[in-house]
Amino acid sequence: MIHQNMNQLVLTLEPMLGNTLLSHQINLGELTLEIDARHIRSACETLRDQAGFDQLTDLCGVDYSGYGAEDGDPWSGERFAVVYHLISYHHNQRIRIRAQLPETDPSIDSVIEIWPAADWFEREAFDLYGIIFHGHPDLRRLLTDYGFIGHPFRKDFPLSGQVEMRYDEEQGRVIYQPVTIEPRILVPRTIRKDVFNRGDNEPGHSAAAEDNA
Amino acid sequence: MAQEGTIEQGFATAKLDDLVNWARTGSMWPMTFGLACCAVEMMQAGAARYDLDRFGMLFRPSPRQSDVMIVAGTLTNKMAPALRKVYDQMAEPKWVISMGSCANGGGYYHYSYSVVRGCDRIVPVDVYVPGCPPTAEALIYGVLQLQKKIKKTSPISRKRELEDAKRHLEGQPT
Repeated sequence: MIHQNMNQLVLTLEPMLGNTLLSHQINLGELTLEIDARHIRSACETLRDQAGFDQLTDLCGVDYSGYGAEDGDPWSGERFAVVYHLISYHHNQRIRIRAQLPETDPSIDSVIEIWPAADWFEREAFDLYGIIFHGHPDLRRLLTDYGFIGHPFRKDFPLSGQVEMRYDEEQGRVIYQPVTIEPRILVPRTIRKDVFNRGDNEPGHSAAAEDNA
Repeated sequence: MAQEGTIEQGFATAKLDDLVNWARTGSMWPMTFGLACCAVEMMQAGAARYDLDRFGMLFRPSPRQSDVMIVAGTLTNKMAPALRKVYDQMAEPKWVISMGSCANGGGYYHYSYSVVRGCDRIVPVDVYVPGCPPTAEALIYGVLQLQKKIKKTSPISRKRELEDAKRHLEGQPT
């Protein structure tokens, strides 16, 4: 079952995933599957057991609010998404899965029982984006300070945060106080329609490029 | 300064202040507190080419055995209580070298939600070494500056403290 290109891989995966697969796209020779977030567990189980994707190499959250607005091409999907990167050593193939989550209820089933590697990845996504992973046995914050309030990678989180730290002589300990510095806009202007993306969404384009290589 | 004729008798004389300062500056054992990439330059300063051992500096893994803390790298909010605890555990007299932009004032992460905007908000700093990261030479220069600073104190006669107190009583600015 070694696939010469991504289009063949899609043809193999489509019947396995059935209606849990919403759509797919091939960009830069990489396959991205759009999976229904409600069925992420069954889809991932299928991908591991039937398609041979043994390993989860990455899992992360995304906040799409404001995405593409500057280019006049605003994002039409849900605000949040969880992105999974899988690798199959047997087939020498990698795929990416994306499951979109609504702003009102950013929660999804944990895949920790399918790939134990998801443990800290899910904790990180929970910490930074506030995405809830149902079934995770220990969904604590991973990176931010103990007792931290908010989810700092959300686009509506202020860059400099709400509190800052200093040592208090009288109390003899390190304390939090409200931030004292002036807020600043430090977001660089991004240009997403660059030369690498042009024409890549046409079907068969990247497959042709792969065949040449 | 030697008294006339004492060398021939087998004695050397010195001010006790100078002797204490000689001992203090000649064996400043740093608390190993590497937090980020600056720590790699600090290791470089300790390794064969620059060799902090020449200045009697041996990195210690325990604050109880350390005289100087080199804050080498980005101090985050989560690390700050630990840094302060380690500083409090060090025995007097103790000094702090702040190494690199991040430790000096937050540096690249000044506007971040999770970084302390300068380690002097947590511990009193004696010497600031600029750079991102500072070279091993720069750190050694900072160490030498700290040695100079220590040599200016008079731990036994307390000359400076007495003068300061006198000025304070007379209502003059120190």
